[in-house]
Amino acid sequence: MIVPYLPMVVIDITGAFAMVVLSLLCCYKARILRETDQDNALFLYLVWISTGFMIFGVSRSFGHILRQCLILTSNTDTWQMIAAFSGSVNTVSFMLVSLITLFFNKSWEINEKILSSRKKLEATHEQLLSLNQNLEHKVIERTEMLTSSEHKARRIFEYSLDTILVTDARFKIQKINNAGIALTGYKKEQMLEQNMGLMDFIAHAPDWEHILKELNTNEQILNEECEFLNSDNMEIRVMITGGVDYGAFGCAKTFHFIIKDINEKKQMEQQIAQADKLAALGELSAGVAHEINNPLGIILGYTQLMLKESSEFEEDLKIIEKHVKNCRNVVSNLLSFSRKGSREMKNVDIHKMLHGVVDFLRNHSDFRNVKIQLNLSKNECLRVKGNAQELTQVILNLMINACHAIKDNPDGFIALVTQKEKTHMLIHVKDNGTGIPKQHIPRIFDPFFTTKPVGQGTGLGLSVGYGIIRHHQGKITAANRKSRGAQFTIRLPLVDTNSNED
Amino acid sequence: MKHLNRFMLLIPAYLLLGLPGNLYALQLHSNSEGIITHQIGHLFFIFSMVVLIFIISGKGLTIHKGWRLIQLSALFFILWNGCALAAHFLDNQIYAVSIEQLVNGYAEIRTRNNSDLLGWVYYGLKLDHLLCVPAMFLMYRGLSCLVEEQKAGQGQD
Repeated sequence: MIVPYLPMVVIDITGAFAMVVLSLLCCYKARILRETDQDNALFLYLVWISTGFMIFGVSRSFGHILRQCLILTSNTDTWQMIAAFSGSVNTVSFMLVSLITLFFNKSWEINEKILSSRKKLEATHEQLLSLNQNLEHKVIERTEMLTSSEHKARRIFEYSLDTILVTDARFKIQKINNAGIALTGYKKEQMLEQNMGLMDFIAHAPDWEHILKELNTNEQILNEECEFLNSDNMEIRVMITGGVDYGAFGCAKTFHFIIKDINEKKQMEQQIAQADKLAALGELSAGVAHEINNPLGIILGYTQLMLKESSEFEEDLKIIEKHVKNCRNVVSNLLSFSRKGSREMKNVDIHKMLHGVVDFLRNHSDFRNVKIQLNLSKNECLRVKGNAQELTQVILNLMINACHAIKDNPDGFIALVTQKEKTHMLIHVKDNGTGIPKQHIPRIFDPFFTTKPVGQGTGLGLSVGYGIIRHHQGKITAANRKSRGAQFTIRLPLVDTNSNED
Repeated sequence: MKHLNRFMLLIPAYLLLGLPGNLYALQLHSNSEGIITHQIGHLFFIFSMVVLIFIISGKGLTIHKGWRLIQLSALFFILWNGCALAAHFLDNQIYAVSIEQLVNGYAEIRTRNNSDLLGWVYYGLKLDHLLCVPAMFLMYRGLSCLVEEQKAGQGQD
């Protein structure tokens, strides 16, 4: 049968060209696809299969075009020679495509594994990110807490009213707060440069030994009281609490101490105890004086009656009268101390009263060689509600005691100083004499306590003075001066200056 | 284990040395081997394309337009392979059909039993590019769709 040949040729050649173009485009697209996700094994598979199709398409099309060309140019023999090779290449190429195609399943499995691994990796990555963020947040949070804590600790350290001290293992000062600097009286740099230690401030060696022993045994001390020596060599009563700190992160062992200044508290306690003791003594004295006063009055009355008539016992009776009078004087003083008696209370101008005392004493033989300084407050006249005679008696008594204390000192002086303190006034009686022995200070206002030889003092002067000042709602204290000598301070409440009642 | 290895070595040695016979160095091949190999290749191609179609369906990839087009492309390749297989069978294997170009732009198809139907069937089979070009085009379109889908997916991410 006869058929048109041209359609076959046209379709063959154009089809061959189309195959070449399309297979190349497939390759191009597969490569683009692969570039979108390099890890996708399926896309890699499509690249392979497209490449296979491209080899198949190009080789087959080349054979077809060549065949048509050779046949059309009547080179059929040549084609017969090449045909076998062309066919073989064609066979190999589509077998290659077939082989690649069969790898789909494997590629799929690999891709699934890759996807699964990628998901796991992404999940792990997210977890890591989350952990990292959490860690960052925690670090920030902890840093803020640490900063806040450090700030609080620093404020406590710097602004504490008690001394806070950090020392090394050998008790050498490493850090000290402002309260500590004030307590010791040294500058911080000075303490660090001179390598000063806690032991340098403990006044008495046995106290330090005790502290050391406690620290070695218990690694801590709690409320240990001792005398603390400041830069002026003044002893201050302190209470020490401390312990060892072995440190963290490789820090060296240190000791931390809190030193509390209890000097004023102790003094206050002593004063309260003294006041209580003197109050009890006052009660006792008042009772005794009251009981003795009446019999003494009877004895004196009868003695004086008997003296009106001359008798051989006149001298003896005079001796009795003299001693009874002495006894009555003592009893009177005891009553003054206990303040059981009543006195007239008026507004007293203290400065005027002090001038009167000084003027009186300057004429006294014992005070001729004594320098008396009168440093009165520049304020308006200071008035207190009281009995001028009694207050004069107290000042006189203190001046006489001061005079006795400086009698061996050619440069001895007595100073009378007044000071105004809001609603109170202070009268200081200072001297540069021998001072008061430390052990006598707690007993100095006790009735009948005296350091003078027997017969030279009754030991009632200061106790009477104490009673008078207490009766005036005031306080009297005794202390040794820093330089030399003693100082008595009287604290009295001021009256309203607008009332000029004398 | 050592004894077993020795035994395994002794068997081929005995076969080589103990049972001598004639040995032909090269096997002779007939002309028909070429076309049969080619036909097996086409069958293998068909097989792989069938596998591809089923795997694409089995893996649930038909939800993607690109893979559906590739599946369709595989179908066209199967048809093309069937076409080529039949044409080669007719002209190269059983020599039932032959074609000769005539000078006036026509060709004469000679069939063994002068069947016009067979002649026209053969003529149709010779126009196999009408199957393989669409197959390749569908493959190109399938890949293009996959590229677009992939790029669209990446754009969303």
